[in-house]
Amino acid sequence: MTDSKGARSSPVLPLPAAPPLELADGLLALVRAHASAAVLDWLAGAVTAARAPLDRRAFATAFALAGRRTGRTAPEPAPADAARLRAAGVTWPVASWGLDGLTRSGLLLHAAAGLAPGELEVLVEECFLQGDTRERQAVLRTVALLPDPARFVPLAVDACRTSVQPVFEAIACENPFPALYFSEQSFNQMVLKAVFIEVAVERILGLTARITPELRRMAADYASERRAAGRSVPDDVGDLLGEKGSRP
Amino acid sequence: MKLFDPHIHMTSRTTLDYEAMAHAGIAAIVEPSFWLGQPRTHVGTFEDYFGGLLGWERFRASQFGVHHFCTLSLNPKEANNRRVAPGVIELLPRYLAKDGVVAVGEIGFDDQTPEEEKYFAAQLELALRFDLPVLVHTPHRDKKRGTERSLALVRDVGFPEGRVLIDHNTEETLPLVLATGCWAGHSIYPFTKMDEPRMVSLVKRYGSERILINSAADWGVSDPLKVPKTVALMRESGIADTEIRRIAWENPVAFFAQSGQLDPAALEAEPAIDQSRLFEGNSVLRGQAPRVSGAPAGAPRPGA
Repeated sequence: MTDSKGARSSPVLPLPAAPPLELADGLLALVRAHASAAVLDWLAGAVTAARAPLDRRAFATAFALAGRRTGRTAPEPAPADAARLRAAGVTWPVASWGLDGLTRSGLLLHAAAGLAPGELEVLVEECFLQGDTRERQAVLRTVALLPDPARFVPLAVDACRTSVQPVFEAIACENPFPALYFSEQSFNQMVLKAVFIEVAVERILGLTARITPELRRMAADYASERRAAGRSVPDDVGDLLGEKGSRP
Repeated sequence: MKLFDPHIHMTSRTTLDYEAMAHAGIAAIVEPSFWLGQPRTHVGTFEDYFGGLLGWERFRASQFGVHHFCTLSLNPKEANNRRVAPGVIELLPRYLAKDGVVAVGEIGFDDQTPEEEKYFAAQLELALRFDLPVLVHTPHRDKKRGTERSLALVRDVGFPEGRVLIDHNTEETLPLVLATGCWAGHSIYPFTKMDEPRMVSLVKRYGSERILINSAADWGVSDPLKVPKTVALMRESGIADTEIRRIAWENPVAFFAQSGQLDPAALEAEPAIDQSRLFEGNSVLRGQAPRVSGAPAGAPRPGA
C-alpha cells in the first residue's frame, strides 16, 4: 500500500492469505472514505447485487457504472486503511487504481465469495471481454486476489497481447500475478514486450527472481537486433543482462 | 514504373490513401487478413471480415484503379485465442477457394507459443491442400529465433520453399531466409521494423532476387506510400532500375501468381476506373462526380 517501486530487488511476492470478503472491505474502505452519502447508498446497493445470490444484470450495470458514480480519482489512503490492506497481504500500490477501479475490484471480490468456481470464471471473463479499458484494468488487477488465482492464467496471458498500453500495464506492472503464475514462456514474452513498448521493467513485480538464461538470451538477441539496425539499446536490456553500470 | 505493395491493410485506410497510392504508381496490392488491434470474441466476426476483404475492399480499390488481392488465415496472435481459433480454422476452406485469394496468410509466430505452432502447421497443410503459397509473419519480439523456427517448420512440413514469403525481415533475418528457397519481405515503417536507408543498404548487399518491400500500413502509425518512397531512395542511391523493378513489381507478381489467382498480363493493362459502379447498392462517392477512366476525381457532381 505504498508507492514503493522496489521491484528490481523484490522476491516473488506471497499472495494475500485473507479471504475475499476481507480484501473487498479493505479496498472498499478507500472508496467509502471519499464517498458522499449518495455514493455510499449506491455502493451499498451494488454490493448487495454482487453478494449471493448474485444479481447478474444489476452486477453488470454496477460494474460499468462505477466510473460515473465514484469518479476516477486516486485516493490518498488513511494510514489505518493502508495498514489494514498490508496486513491482509496487499503489499503493492493500489490507490492508483482509482476509486472506480477499487470499487470494481471490491465488487468482484464480493461476487467471488458467493460463487461456485466455474461460475466465477465466467463472470470474470465476461467483465473482461465486455469491459472498456478501465474495466479491463480492474479485472486484471483483481485476479491475484481471487480464490485459486492460477485458473485466470489464460485470461491474463491473453491480456498481455493487447495493443492498449494501459491494459498491458495493468497486468504487467505493480501486479504480483505474472511472476507468481505465468509460465516461463509467457513471462519472458511479457518482459520483452515491456522493453519493446518502453514500459520500465522495474515496474514488473518479482522480476529479479524470474530472470532465466532464456530471458537473458532473448534480451541479448534484442540488443543485437537493435545494434544491427543502427539503433540504441534500451537501458532496461542492460539491466536484464545483469550489466552493472549500463545506466549513465 | 508500376509498383506493387504486397502487404497493406486497406480496411484501416481511407480513400485519400488510395488516391495517393495510385498517384504514386501503386497499381496492385495484397491485403493479408490480420488482427484488428484488439481480440475478437466471436468466430462470426471473421466471416464478415473475410467477406469484406473479398468484396467491399476489392471494390473500393478498383474505384481508384488499384488491383486488390488478399490472403486469408487465422493470424498468429489470435491463434492463441481459444474462443475463435478452432472455429476460424473450420471456416477457412470455404474462403480459401474464392477468387482473388492469393495465399494463406498471415500465419506464423507471434509469442511463439505451442498453439501458434499448431495452427501455423495446420495452415501450411491447408495451403498445400488448396495449392496456395503462404505469407509468413515473423514476430516483433525474439525475431531471429522466431524466423529460425518458421524456416524449420516449413522444412519439417515439407512445404515447397519457393512458395513461402517470410515477411518483416531485418539485417539479421534476411541472410537466414535467403539461405533457403523462401522469398523475403521487408516492411518499411516510420519507426520500427525496417526503414528506407537500411533497405537500400540491404539491396546493395544482397541484390534483388526473392526480395520484396511493403508498407504493412494498418491502423497504427504507418505510411501507405513507403513502397514508392523506398523506390525513390533506391533510385537516388544508384540502384539500377532493373533491380528496383524486380523488387517493387516483378517479384511480388511472380510470387503471388503461383496461386493461379493473379494474372500478370491483366496487371500490365491500364485499369479501367468506373466510379459510377455500385457495390451492393453502395458507392465510395459522397456527392462527387463519378470518375470514369482517366477523368479527374473529386470534382463536384453538377446539381449535387
